[in-house]
Amino acid sequence: MSTTHATSETFDRNARAALADPVLHGALRNLADSFVVRRRNAIASAGDWEDLRERARSIKDETLLHLDEYLERFTENAEKAGSTIHWARDGKEACEIVLGLVRAQNANMVVKAKSMAGEEIHLNEALEAAGIEPVETDLGEWIIQLAGETPSHIVVPAIHKTKQQIADLFVEKVGIEKTDNVDVLTQTARRILRQRFAEAQVGISGVNFGVAETGTILILENEGNIRLTTSLTKTHIAVMGIEKVIPKFADLDVFLKLLPRSGTGQRLTAYQSLITGVKNNADDIGPDELHIVMLDNGRSRMLAHPLTRQSLACIRCGACLNACPVYQQIGGHAYGSVYPGPIGAVITPQLFGLSKAKQLPYASSLCGACREVCPVKIDIPALLLHLRSEIAEGSTRESQPTRKLGESIAFRMYSRIWSRSGTYALSIRAARLAQRFVARNGKIGKVSGMLALLVPPLGAWTERRDAPVVAPKSFREMWREKKK
Amino acid sequence: MMHSSSHSNARSSIFASIRENLAKSEPFNEEHQEAKSEPRTGVLFVETNTSEVFRESLEMVGAKCTFVENEIEAADRLRSIVGDRSATEIIVSDSELVHRIVNAAGINAIQDASRDELFSSAIGITSAQWAIAETGTLVLESGAERHRLASLVPPVHVCIVTTSSIRQSMAEILKLMDPDANRAITFVTGASRTSDIELTLAIGVHGPGELYVVVIKDQ
Repeated sequence: MSTTHATSETFDRNARAALADPVLHGALRNLADSFVVRRRNAIASAGDWEDLRERARSIKDETLLHLDEYLERFTENAEKAGSTIHWARDGKEACEIVLGLVRAQNANMVVKAKSMAGEEIHLNEALEAAGIEPVETDLGEWIIQLAGETPSHIVVPAIHKTKQQIADLFVEKVGIEKTDNVDVLTQTARRILRQRFAEAQVGISGVNFGVAETGTILILENEGNIRLTTSLTKTHIAVMGIEKVIPKFADLDVFLKLLPRSGTGQRLTAYQSLITGVKNNADDIGPDELHIVMLDNGRSRMLAHPLTRQSLACIRCGACLNACPVYQQIGGHAYGSVYPGPIGAVITPQLFGLSKAKQLPYASSLCGACREVCPVKIDIPALLLHLRSEIAEGSTRESQPTRKLGESIAFRMYSRIWSRSGTYALSIRAARLAQRFVARNGKIGKVSGMLALLVPPLGAWTERRDAPVVAPKSFREMWREKKK
Repeated sequence: MMHSSSHSNARSSIFASIRENLAKSEPFNEEHQEAKSEPRTGVLFVETNTSEVFRESLEMVGAKCTFVENEIEAADRLRSIVGDRSATEIIVSDSELVHRIVNAAGINAIQDASRDELFSSAIGITSAQWAIAETGTLVLESGAERHRLASLVPPVHVCIVTTSSIRQSMAEILKLMDPDANRAITFVTGASRTSDIELTLAIGVHGPGELYVVVIKDQ
């Protein structure tokens, strides 16, 4: 695998590079127009959307507060139907379990359906290291596997690539004629992956929901590759985060209304597979074995606080990525995590350690768009603030953050001037005079030179964004004039 | 395979961690909260004509839907779908309804297709045990429809359903399901699709690119 991937530790640098990448912006421009609009239209067909969100959240809350009980029930019912349940404390254990299962089938190749849990534990790298070829079969995942990249979106992993880049990749890797026809590119993937499906013995997938009441796993998709992966093979291995369990079969209704509408703006995705153990009739198609690998990998820790526990309600729809003004500008790779965007900024530090992702909770303007679109009402801004305060507390314990001398003098000055109304008014009048030299169209662009030195931190602030100008009249002034 | 000792270790330590962290959480309420599984508004609208809603939903997802009066008309319709495409390799599921109609249409079809036959087939014909009107969804249960690959691998899927199997909503269908008897249940809504390249819709990526639904009116 390529080693040039951005990491969460280098977020600031990654984000700056992403902002300067015109090709990336070209690829991302469809996101807001198409996904956001499609979602808005789709939720109009769902009836009482707020009620659905509240019901989904209450189902998740109840499950998480009694996660041990529901996991026991899920395990018992899944085993009764012939599934084999495995437990993995972390990614390494999960990979070892999967490797053992693949080796037991003497398979040197596996077909894979898109799985965020699989990405999280770097399953492909583990399989490759063991001499087993993982073949991603979701079109987007296959594209990034060919390119040696990581997904940049939870739902559409290759969103960062333009059709031209994908065409070039196919010309280079699978030897087709250059084309910019999306149908031709798609049919190329179909043709090549069909051969791999025909020879596959083992299929690996993720899980969207596991039903405690029946031991059923539900997987949603649009392409049909998950159905092929889970029905053409002899052995099906499903990697499932422990938070994916829900209590009742009937609960699926709410989530089947919320997830497709939030994720892709569809009323329902093309296919849902509801798999309960193994076939109970020898004539039936489908695998002889179903192995479900239950993955903790830091999830149980998140139960310890009502705020962090919310993160476990996430159903991985990607709506918060599409709605986020930060994600829309920098894409997914800058986050340096398999989970990008607002939800990624929340769960990456929790899964992989706060020290490894210190900058991510700051990668947000706290505008709240993510909270508004979240189908399970996760309060992402509150979680980001919670993580920020943990980082701040941690850093005062470790070492005092060094603020620049000039900056600290400036802030002391501001606090002195602005705590008295007379000096405050005076400073505003001075700012109105001074800004004439730098304001354009009601905004202050990049400020450098003397003014940047005289008015810290104006230079740093305007380096990559505009500053608003001081209004010509304050509210108090307007009020006084009105009263006259 | 796994060593049983390491397996039980991982399991017990995960459960211990879950219980320990939940106990830390403030405020922790041992009581089960009744999840609000029923909608507050009840049924939003009562649609009397589920067949019409089903047809509209199917059209919305790009499926071609035909209502017929009886199995003889269904056979006619099937003949015209097959004839239009001058398809030769046709595979069928083990559904008796499908067999009757295929025979009545005089179509040569393969049941129990081998992998080679499956991958070279042009049309797959199945029935569906249930259908959902508000989404245009076909529900295939493994107990009745063992060879569901006929609905997935060929580039064209023809599905035969009866009006009596149509229900208004997903909630109603979930109540009818028996996942223990039907170990694999497949919901199909429209043709296979993807938006993975520049969010541009492309049809027929891994599954069928065309879906025909023939609905037989029950007497």
